[in-house]
Amino acid sequence: MKQLEEVKKNLLLEYCLERFGINPEIWEGYIWYSGSKNKIYLANTLELERIIPESKGICIFRLDKSPKPTTNFLQLFGRYITRNYVELDNENTKKYCRGEDLILENNKSIIPGFLLMTNKNRFLGCGHWNGKILKNQLPKSKFCKINFL
Amino acid sequence: MDKYQNIRNNIIDRYSCLVDDEKKFADSINIPLKQSFRVNTLKEKKKTVINKLKEYDSNIKTTKWNDNAHISELNNLGSSLEHFVGQIYIQELTSMIPPLIVKDLIKDIKIIDCCAAPGSKTTQIAAMMENKGHIIANDARHARLKSLRGNLDRLGVTNTSVTLRDFKSFPNTSADLYFVDAPCSSEGTIRKKNAVARTWKERDYLRFNKLQNGLLSKACEMAPSGSTIVYSTCTFSPDENEKVVSETLDKYDLKMKTISIENLRSESGITEWNNESYNSEVKKCMRVWPHHNDTDAFFIARMEKY
Repeated sequence: MKQLEEVKKNLLLEYCLERFGINPEIWEGYIWYSGSKNKIYLANTLELERIIPESKGICIFRLDKSPKPTTNFLQLFGRYITRNYVELDNENTKKYCRGEDLILENNKSIIPGFLLMTNKNRFLGCGHWNGKILKNQLPKSKFCKINFL
Repeated sequence: MDKYQNIRNNIIDRYSCLVDDEKKFADSINIPLKQSFRVNTLKEKKKTVINKLKEYDSNIKTTKWNDNAHISELNNLGSSLEHFVGQIYIQELTSMIPPLIVKDLIKDIKIIDCCAAPGSKTTQIAAMMENKGHIIANDARHARLKSLRGNLDRLGVTNTSVTLRDFKSFPNTSADLYFVDAPCSSEGTIRKKNAVARTWKERDYLRFNKLQNGLLSKACEMAPSGSTIVYSTCTFSPDENEKVVSETLDKYDLKMKTISIENLRSESGITEWNNESYNSEVKKCMRVWPHHNDTDAFFIARMEKY
């Protein structure tokens, strides 16, 4: 893992601000790293001197042609997100956690792109709205049957 | 008779001579533990989460000795939304002890967790540090890193680097605090549902003793003067507990620290077992017996390098 180039970091800061309204001040004290498969990590750890770690901090983006936020990122920083989030009812929350795509009603105001899914101030993770359907972006390893919510 | 009854009986026979009340000890071993958890304060306030969880289980109780250790009547809290979003971590009560005995030290410091997977203590320490400072979470087995990584991600831990090394060959790394939560026979977890348990022979205890000695020795070798080392296991076996600490005290310049947790009943380390005597300083170790606090069994020692 190496520190992320300034150009790419600025692109992600801009994306966080424009897409989710995240105030850039919250990133103070964090170091941004790039890992394999275009994964971007966020950590506030020191450099290790004599050992190469398997990972540092948490994976927050995948940066291919455009940035894709991870569920870890949206769950942790959801409290700072002021736009492009969708509140799900309990039934849709259960479907989302099972990994299902969703049909959203009252969708005219939603701007296509990545969204934060929420349920009563609990930040669930990432979805992608293409104007017709909400594609579930949860990694398979997180699919889960929810019994209590 | 269930498949674990023989194992339970062997444990009762072997360790009854060490306890204050044989009957209560034997009875407690045969009662399964309730599910316990803590709130991940990196994600949400304790009160908010507990109030929400009380909608599912109105009988949730907080222990007298740790204000972030809670017990639920439910046995499937893993299927709650709070677990899914990383607001709670299901963890045995005794497993929460090591970070508590060094609460005075845990702030913006450097910590090495030598045997970190699946990350219960690492994530607990990270929350106590409010994601500041630096934790190196190491484990020797690749298969176990997946669970460690998954828990760090779910709980939103950003101050941790994960390393994959046999700790005995870990490069010398200076830190303020070392946690050696060593692999052990795990006899103390026999009350747990689905406990991985078997009956151990004398030679197995000695095999674990050798492994634990190697790990603790390595931590002592790399620890700078003034740093702290915490050694813990979840077994009753003195061969894996006091004996390991005693042998380490004889080899390195260490000062044992007396430990206690308010409202947690515990006992001192023992100084004799199987016709062997240990360094008298091991009395400063802490033993937690299942019948005293309705928990698993646990052993812990705090040492300072000088």
